[in-house]
Amino acid sequence: MNRSNALIEIDDIRKSFGIFEVLKGISLTVGKGEAVCIIGPSGSGKSTILRCINGLMPIDSGSIRVGDHRVHELTSEKAMRPLRHQVAMVFQQYNLFPHRTALENIMMAPIQVLGHDKREVEERARKLLKKVRLSEKADSYPGQLSGGQQQRVAIARALAMQPDIILFDEVTAALDPETVKEVLFTIRELVEEGLTCMLVTHEMKFAREVSHRVCFTDHGRIVESAPPAEFFDNPQDARLREFLGQVL
Amino acid sequence: MLGLDFSWLGDATYQQWLLVGVTNTIELAAISSVAAVIIGMLGALALTLRIFWLEAIVELFVEFFRNTPPLLQMLFAYFTLSTLGLKVTDPATGLSVPLLSAFACAAISLSLFGGALAIEAFRSGIETMPRAIIEAARSLGYSRWSRFWRVEAPIATRICLPALTNILTNLFKTTSQASVITVPELMYYAGQIYNDNLRTLEVMLLILVIYVALVSVITFAMARLERWMAFPGYGTGR
Repeated sequence: MNRSNALIEIDDIRKSFGIFEVLKGISLTVGKGEAVCIIGPSGSGKSTILRCINGLMPIDSGSIRVGDHRVHELTSEKAMRPLRHQVAMVFQQYNLFPHRTALENIMMAPIQVLGHDKREVEERARKLLKKVRLSEKADSYPGQLSGGQQQRVAIARALAMQPDIILFDEVTAALDPETVKEVLFTIRELVEEGLTCMLVTHEMKFAREVSHRVCFTDHGRIVESAPPAEFFDNPQDARLREFLGQVL
Repeated sequence: MLGLDFSWLGDATYQQWLLVGVTNTIELAAISSVAAVIIGMLGALALTLRIFWLEAIVELFVEFFRNTPPLLQMLFAYFTLSTLGLKVTDPATGLSVPLLSAFACAAISLSLFGGALAIEAFRSGIETMPRAIIEAARSLGYSRWSRFWRVEAPIATRICLPALTNILTNLFKTTSQASVITVPELMYYAGQIYNDNLRTLEVMLLILVIYVALVSVITFAMARLERWMAFPGYGTGR
């Protein structure tokens, strides 16, 4: 892919927590409409990559460009606001605000952060709830919803920001196999609609079916990156072969 | 039984004293409670800013007011604030009187005492907030300030309500110590009455009942508030 056309361009980023270097020079590009899955063992830096992309974590060196934003040069939360408008994130533990209803959770940020019109936002939020098939749960609080339902509300909340990119951080890891399906179904729809997605996941089957490209991280490096068919059927790296052998 | 005699309750003067005492107690408690909650919020907010010198000041404030007896604080406030030149001339009598009455000194001192405890309560609420919630707010583009008001404060308030209830009930009871600096509240008039009628036990029993009744109003109201504010789906929430 032509690098300058890419929507996300990560170049040789490094990040350490104390003496532990989590990312040891990660480079990656993601094109518009592309769905990229990142798989790899725990502690290999998968989630850290996502957190660096939307500026939740500062990087030590290297550069990150998302659209027109040069993420590594943004220093304040205020400067990051346009970036966060463009890049939404969905978390493993849903992280809904427990004191607000599902509908309010979706409406809060567009009104309070983006300053959008309340009526228009409510209309948008109800459409999104319908999209994730939770219209009847609009007035339920997060504590009254199942994990799968909370996660779908969290996806709707991310979508309400009208982002160009959504980062999914192990969004099904805390769910039981039954509810995993409903969440993956929602994500699959988004990918098919052409939304740019980056997913950290342990769902190999899903990664294979949905993504355009799969990356394998190990010890802070991307050791293999390929289209799913090639990635799963003909892995080149020995460590990846071992990993796939264990999880498949 | 016990030879208790409550006939003095019929005395209009005693009734008047009790009424004034109760009114002053409620007023003192209300003023210092509101002030304590405001101080608590501002102090906790100041601590979240992570500014070194501000943090030091707030912590020093908390340590000082939490670790000294409120009675001593009140006496200290009374004898310093009223004598340190803060005087005005009463236009009616032409006499020089302290700018701050005993009541004002008690209110100030109780506000600071309660405020120091409230800072700790709010701080505990903010510190037990799941980091993931903050991360979610940041990823949605909330700035530090709006994140505090829209997300952290509403959640922290709910978490620290039980601790706040304790602080407010204790603060209410501590108003009785204002009698020592001549604030004419309930405890003060209790002393006046039993010095007058020598029915110490009866007076104390009555005062006890009045305090129980008044503090129960607070605990009842706070319990209602707690239930009303509880996160639905968690604990006592619907």
